[in-house]
Amino acid sequence: MSRLEAKKPSICRREPLTGERAGARLAALRGLLTSCYGPAGRLKQLHNGRGGPVAATSHSAALLAGLPVSHPVLKVLTAAVRNHVACFSDGGLFTAILCCNLVENVQRLGLTPTTVIRLNKHLLSLCTRYLKSEVCACRIPVDFGSTQILLSLVRSILTSKPACMLIAKEIDHISTLILKAFLLTIPENAQEHIILGKSIIVPLKGQRVIDSAVLPGILIEVSEVQLMKILPIKKSDSFKVAVFCVSLSGDLSDTGEGTLLVSYGVSLENAALDQLFNLGKQLVSDHVDLVLCQKVIHPSLKQFLRTHQIIAVDRIGVSLMEPLSKVTGTQPIGSLGSISPSSYGTVKDLCIAKFGCKHFFHLIPNKATVCSLLLCNRNDTAWDELKLTCQTALHALQLTVKEPYVLLGGGCTETHLVAYIRHKTRNEPESVLRDERCSQTELQLITEAFCSALESLAGSLEHDGGEVLTDGKYGHFWSVQANLPSAVNWPDLPSRCGCGLYSSQEELSWSFLRSARHPFRPQTCLSHEAKGSANTLTLDCFTAKLSGLQVAVETASLILDLSCVIEDTN
Amino acid sequence: MDCRVINKRRHTGLQQLSSFAETGRTFLGPVKSSKFIIDEECHESVLISSAVRLLESLDLTSAVGQLLSEAIQAQNKTYRTGTSTLLFLVGAWSSAAEECLHLGVPISLIVSVMSEGLNSCIEEVESLQVPVHSVYDHIDSTETFSGLSVSLDPSLHIPSGTGLVQKEHDLKDVASQSLAFCRLSGRPVKSPQLFRLQARFEADENTSQTPQTLKNNLLADTCCRKSVLTHSRHFSRTDRHQWISKPGELLEQLSAAAPKTYRCSDLAELEVGLSHGDPSSMRLVAEAVRLQHQNAGMRRGGHTVLFPFDISRIFTCCLPGLPDSLSCVCPGYITVLSMSSATLIKELQNQPVRVVLVEGDLTENYRHLGFNKPTNIKTVSESVKVQQDSSEELWTDHVLQVLIKFNVNLVLARGNVSEGLAEKCTDSKRLVIGSVPESVLQAFAEASGAVQVAYITHMNENCVGSGVSVTTWRSVTSDTVDGISRMTVVLKTEGINLVTVVLTSPVTAQMQTKEDRFWTCASRLYYALKEQKVFPGGGAVELLCLTHLQSLAGQSVNKGNQDCSGWLHNTSSWLASSAALYRPTVLKSLADGWHRYLSTLLRNTAVYSSDSEAATSIQCHLQNAADSGSPSSYILNEYSKLNSVILNSGISDKLEPIPRVYDVVTPKIEAWRRALDLVLLVLQTDSEIITGLAHTQKSSQESEGFLFL
Repeated sequence: MSRLEAKKPSICRREPLTGERAGARLAALRGLLTSCYGPAGRLKQLHNGRGGPVAATSHSAALLAGLPVSHPVLKVLTAAVRNHVACFSDGGLFTAILCCNLVENVQRLGLTPTTVIRLNKHLLSLCTRYLKSEVCACRIPVDFGSTQILLSLVRSILTSKPACMLIAKEIDHISTLILKAFLLTIPENAQEHIILGKSIIVPLKGQRVIDSAVLPGILIEVSEVQLMKILPIKKSDSFKVAVFCVSLSGDLSDTGEGTLLVSYGVSLENAALDQLFNLGKQLVSDHVDLVLCQKVIHPSLKQFLRTHQIIAVDRIGVSLMEPLSKVTGTQPIGSLGSISPSSYGTVKDLCIAKFGCKHFFHLIPNKATVCSLLLCNRNDTAWDELKLTCQTALHALQLTVKEPYVLLGGGCTETHLVAYIRHKTRNEPESVLRDERCSQTELQLITEAFCSALESLAGSLEHDGGEVLTDGKYGHFWSVQANLPSAVNWPDLPSRCGCGLYSSQEELSWSFLRSARHPFRPQTCLSHEAKGSANTLTLDCFTAKLSGLQVAVETASLILDLSCVIEDTN
Repeated sequence: MDCRVINKRRHTGLQQLSSFAETGRTFLGPVKSSKFIIDEECHESVLISSAVRLLESLDLTSAVGQLLSEAIQAQNKTYRTGTSTLLFLVGAWSSAAEECLHLGVPISLIVSVMSEGLNSCIEEVESLQVPVHSVYDHIDSTETFSGLSVSLDPSLHIPSGTGLVQKEHDLKDVASQSLAFCRLSGRPVKSPQLFRLQARFEADENTSQTPQTLKNNLLADTCCRKSVLTHSRHFSRTDRHQWISKPGELLEQLSAAAPKTYRCSDLAELEVGLSHGDPSSMRLVAEAVRLQHQNAGMRRGGHTVLFPFDISRIFTCCLPGLPDSLSCVCPGYITVLSMSSATLIKELQNQPVRVVLVEGDLTENYRHLGFNKPTNIKTVSESVKVQQDSSEELWTDHVLQVLIKFNVNLVLARGNVSEGLAEKCTDSKRLVIGSVPESVLQAFAEASGAVQVAYITHMNENCVGSGVSVTTWRSVTSDTVDGISRMTVVLKTEGINLVTVVLTSPVTAQMQTKEDRFWTCASRLYYALKEQKVFPGGGAVELLCLTHLQSLAGQSVNKGNQDCSGWLHNTSSWLASSAALYRPTVLKSLADGWHRYLSTLLRNTAVYSSDSEAATSIQCHLQNAADSGSPSSYILNEYSKLNSVILNSGISDKLEPIPRVYDVVTPKIEAWRRALDLVLLVLQTDSEIITGLAHTQKSSQESEGFLFL
């Protein structure tokens, strides 16, 4: 007997941000993410507490995917950040921490949300306009004629994730591989619209990182048994390929509901197999050299094909289908009926490769922009982190092709931006006050909240109790030891700024990051000599960081604007 | 000893790691003490003597425990050796890291300096590598594994007795050609060396080679004689002892800073060196290598220049309940069958048999992987006939017809075999064996020309292999498990690249251990041959690491800066500039880990009875190494003195001269890296995140220390 129960009324909570609980949880989330930020960031062990796999990570994608968040405000925040990561891969922690900082800072002020949102928006546009302008001194145009900047960018991304457990030599090796893999995805004769190819990451766990490699074309893992049946491959200039996305296993697809009555002596299985053999005969008469199937090929069909010198490889998996059709220049065949001759593709060469303990079938295309990055690391945990990081780096390179700039990393962009905003709002507030209809005090308060959010973000790069300084000329980030003895001439201590662009030889007036200082006009326009020394720079992806900044400010505005949460308790 | 105040700086993850690792301390070194692990609930117990099995039996539900287990498994899966080293170093270095934390070193600096230190060690120990070259040149001499240690010592007392002479005759009777190859080796037939070799078999191996098995092996060998002859010109036995017998020259070489002139070009010597206190397992490995080598020679018509030792083509067959001495190595595939097929096998003996290889189950309703059998199909008959046979019977008949048609007498299946079919086949004089490993099927496919099929009913003439011989190996009269008598059969074809190692043990509980130990030895030899280089063993490498780290710690200038891990070397962080301050402390802690390793090694091999004695000895060597100016030369020099205590503590048998101990290169270094990686991973972790909904069930008391989001 079914029982009907009256629905419970929904719960409506006003001002979700003001409660102590929300504040504590937001602070907890911020603390968690802040501790992961940067190359010296701490790791988190993610596990389900019941003996499931353990992941040690500091990657925002892995963290946020596993983080059990229950408070609605945090849900909004994490969802926004995850969206950002899904689109840009890089800058997840940056976005999340900045957003937390902004919410916390602004909330303390007690201003009306509308004013806050309007002014935040204004400050954001100030930042983006500056970052996109030619005078911006914290971005470097990318010279595609040399690998220096791109390599620095990749290396900065790799070093920012300590859970990859790489030593310097390995970082160099992997950076080169990533860049190589990226370059292989660029078509040779580029027209107006470049369509980038794909780098497929092939796992090879348990091996040394230094054994990783990049190969053009596609690697398909095959078992040793299958391998013995493939050998030997005849020599030829090109191979005719048939790619199937439909299962050739000979099972009866979709018998529908109800019962099927079959008279005695009739075997549906044999009928299905006969159909497969007919297909096989067509493949033979069409002189196909290689049959690839996403799913399973019936062993008897395989045997048939083999006797006719056709190589058959099955269980390729759905993820390889798109690059396969790109490489062979054909659409996968989706039916068992007759095949039109146009559905066959070609590859230039085939070979068998062995890496570690795995065997691979290597398809070398004529000219396609697909390559395989064979990625090794010692154990699963480190491999997973390395894979995520490599994907981020590859994505960052793609974004850099679109917008050929990189931002200075190591906290320098943030501190420089802060100096710029402070200077701007102090010296030219008139237009703002007129446009945004707010008082001078309000503008000062919000600017301070915004700037200190960026400053504490930069400050979270420090995890070992050091101090952070900024200089009075460029507005860059300088890291020094805490509690310096006063006898030491401390401005001489930091050797280089966070991004590595400037050294401390010049007369720079340092001050502590979060201390009050007189606003100054940071030097704009990057000098050419600075661009030259790019080989040791710490760099960030321009597009990802810019978007992260926007997402952070907009999400913070959204959260601050929440006036009540309605929860369906049924 | 341990009365330090529990400090707030203590890292629980690191503490967990060191306590887990402590349990495996006794597995380090050649003398391994076994452990009994007892389940208190069901009173089951297991006997283990390796780190892998230990961790399998421990309850490692904590996150750190799982990471440790993952690291050990990964090492075991890739290299099958080095896990005890890995476990021990995890413990030693997690204590070291904890010590650094205690002293207030920033975490990022510990991470960076430690990995820099280890990296520098790894580069340093390259100078100790001993190249392994052309070891197969001597493989065809009858001298097997245990021969070398005997031939090295002129003062060994040979147990005299007529039995030995008898054995010698036995040998000649069985394979009269053995005279030929003995002569080829440039020594008289009754040379003391060969004599002693037999003596070793008799005296030391507890009559492990009964005349019968010896005969079997020799019978198997006789067909391979030809390949032996083709290599006779390589029999130059002079260079082998070169660097052992001329210490004066050796020293000259050392002073000329050319330690690379050390080489190992003798397979037997390599095997002794890599046995690490387990000569009986290594003897089996050695025999397997020789069998594979002979096979390879036969397959390629005598050209064995590029012979790779292939452990994937070695198969172990465990026969619990039999005495240890029956362990042996045979070409082909050996498996256990029930006594009921005895008559069938007798009939199949003496004739080459045609074979079919089935890659799945051999049952009526088996379908290949990826085949979805629809469940809603019903078969109906249109007319009322006599009761039809069941589909199972129809299938069985069909299979039998196919077997008869292609005249197949042997079916090897990867999976299960339908009982009905097996019975019917036995009736029609056909042998069906199920659960055959993939590598075995592969070997038979190569050697007999068969092609593996999924469905026997779909096969054709091309799939049938031929020339397989079936023989009884021995009947295992009573099985300790269920008392059913069984028999073992040997299946082989000419030139099959497959060697079965029969492992026997009277104690069933020891079977697993024996198998593990065999594979460890096999992998060690495999990697040594594959990489063509070995390390001097017995602590030499670790001693150099210790010396090297101590000298690094003493250097005030950071000269190895570019080797720094990860990000620190080109960072502008204050850590880079203050690294010099903490560097000696961290490097010293890392070196302490090596020190603990060495002293445990010495303690475990029973060379020293106390830690302080071991420490004194290590200290003495360290001092000497430092004084000598070139630690690596000093260590190589010490190593070449066979009676040196610290470096050659490998073999505990005091009666014998101590042969050189070797160790594998990459697996060892990888074990170090994995150990340090794990420690640093745990060190850098500051919190655990428990995913899913598990936390909602926690009571308020439990949830103390948890943060909810």
